[in-house]
Amino acid sequence: MEFFLEPFALGFQQRALMGGLLAAIMTAVVGTWLVLRGMSFFGDAFVHGVIPGIAAAAFFDFNPLIGAAIAAFLMVLLIEVIHRQTTLSEDTAIGLLFVGMLALGVVIVSKVDSYSGSITTILFGDALGVTATDLRTQLVLAVVVIVAGLLMYRPLLALAFNRDKATMWKLHPGRTHAIFMALVAISVIGSYQSVGTLLVFGFLVGPPAAAALISRSVKTMMLFAAGISSFSVWLGLTLSYHFSTAGSATMAVIPVFIFFILLIWKRFSARSSSRKVEVSNA
Amino acid sequence: MPSNLSAHNITIRRGENVVVENSTFDIPAGKITAVIGPNGSGKSTILHAIAGLLELESGHLEIPTDAEISYVMQYTAIPVDAPLTVREAVEMGRWNQLGIFKRLSKADREIVAAAMDRLAIGDLSKRHLSELSGGQRQRVYVAQGIAQTHNWLFLDEPLTGLDINSAAVIDELIHDEPARGHSVVLTTHDLAEAQAADYVILMAGRVVAHGAPAEVLTAENLATAYGLAALHHDHSGLGIPDLDPHHG
Repeated sequence: MEFFLEPFALGFQQRALMGGLLAAIMTAVVGTWLVLRGMSFFGDAFVHGVIPGIAAAAFFDFNPLIGAAIAAFLMVLLIEVIHRQTTLSEDTAIGLLFVGMLALGVVIVSKVDSYSGSITTILFGDALGVTATDLRTQLVLAVVVIVAGLLMYRPLLALAFNRDKATMWKLHPGRTHAIFMALVAISVIGSYQSVGTLLVFGFLVGPPAAAALISRSVKTMMLFAAGISSFSVWLGLTLSYHFSTAGSATMAVIPVFIFFILLIWKRFSARSSSRKVEVSNA
Repeated sequence: MPSNLSAHNITIRRGENVVVENSTFDIPAGKITAVIGPNGSGKSTILHAIAGLLELESGHLEIPTDAEISYVMQYTAIPVDAPLTVREAVEMGRWNQLGIFKRLSKADREIVAAAMDRLAIGDLSKRHLSELSGGQRQRVYVAQGIAQTHNWLFLDEPLTGLDINSAAVIDELIHDEPARGHSVVLTTHDLAEAQAADYVILMAGRVVAHGAPAEVLTAENLATAYGLAALHHDHSGLGIPDLDPHHG
């Protein structure tokens, strides 16, 4: 029992757990829709897109949340501009901005005194450095994401199903997409300190992808995703404490393991049930 | 008496390309209208424009004020392995009436059940879309379309690539709709399906002809729409004479 309790005995360890759990729930809600809409690459690009904003905040000494929000807005805007003004696919626009924003972030960070420390913190987070103020901000952002995610269930599912059908059902797909982009931004901004920008992506895609293997509905997919990501936070921090591994990276790798375990289990159970059918038909 | 739908000199553009040019036609209410033409001839574009999904470049549409259009499209964006059951997918057809928050009432559930029964998918209600054949999935999408309150049903190539059972179920539904006071507009590549409709619109980037099937589906009109080569051998069973492209 002590093995599981010891890693969370101290205040900063409890805050790391709380910060991770809030990030887990936020990213599960948003990540479910990213996976269902086939927007995983966008999610990957987006989490890197906020880096220059955070870096600029470190360089010019202002709130990194504001920096990340500005960078996120700029990224979405530029993707839309490229998509609308050229014949290039949205995929190309995302790829272009992915590289551009990441490179710009590294350029800005390289001008900061503690270059390697800053970039590591941005990319991989600083779970043990989460303060009570950070937690309060994160809690507010998590509530916004969860409430908006629940209220927007029908518009988001209609948009995922078929944009034109969403229009005909008067569920305003354009407005829904804009709100969704804001929710992605909020969940990334609210999570990066705990798990880092690089590993927020792991939480956006890993748990929903694993949950999709065992879910019978979108709502259960979201719940399973939240459960898997919360379990990953707890287990990741526990393992990282005992084996001195990087906390956020340990948290992020667990959903990927869970995905493959579920995949293998699903394959075996499908094979055994098809054998049962063969036997009963014989 | 329900009102007809009319288009007057409409031109529709998709991006840089004019897809439908200066076309005028009527679509009779309470009947089955088949829109036929080669790929890229503007069949789906016309349905999209009437449904309000595309702007007209010029011309105008006269859509009856009481028209409630339900449109079953050829494509869906959601991955086929998304965790969505047949019942949930059909229930989405009620969202037009329910909006974002209103829960399904008993009457809504009865409409959904009736729609599933008409498409013979009641026994599949708890199945995932990923567990269905292509034909069964198409029946789900048509059930979703008729679960939506409508008096005009648009179907974009509803029978293309289906197994015989699914095609028969959907075909029966199409021909049953006018008896319920509904108008049906469908796009098709199938001359026999067009022949079985009450009214036909033949497209080739513009309306080549529109009217009763016998008036529209003539060798001359089809040759104009499809090019002579397509009609060198008539396998349609419509009695269209052979046209030799080399001697045309």
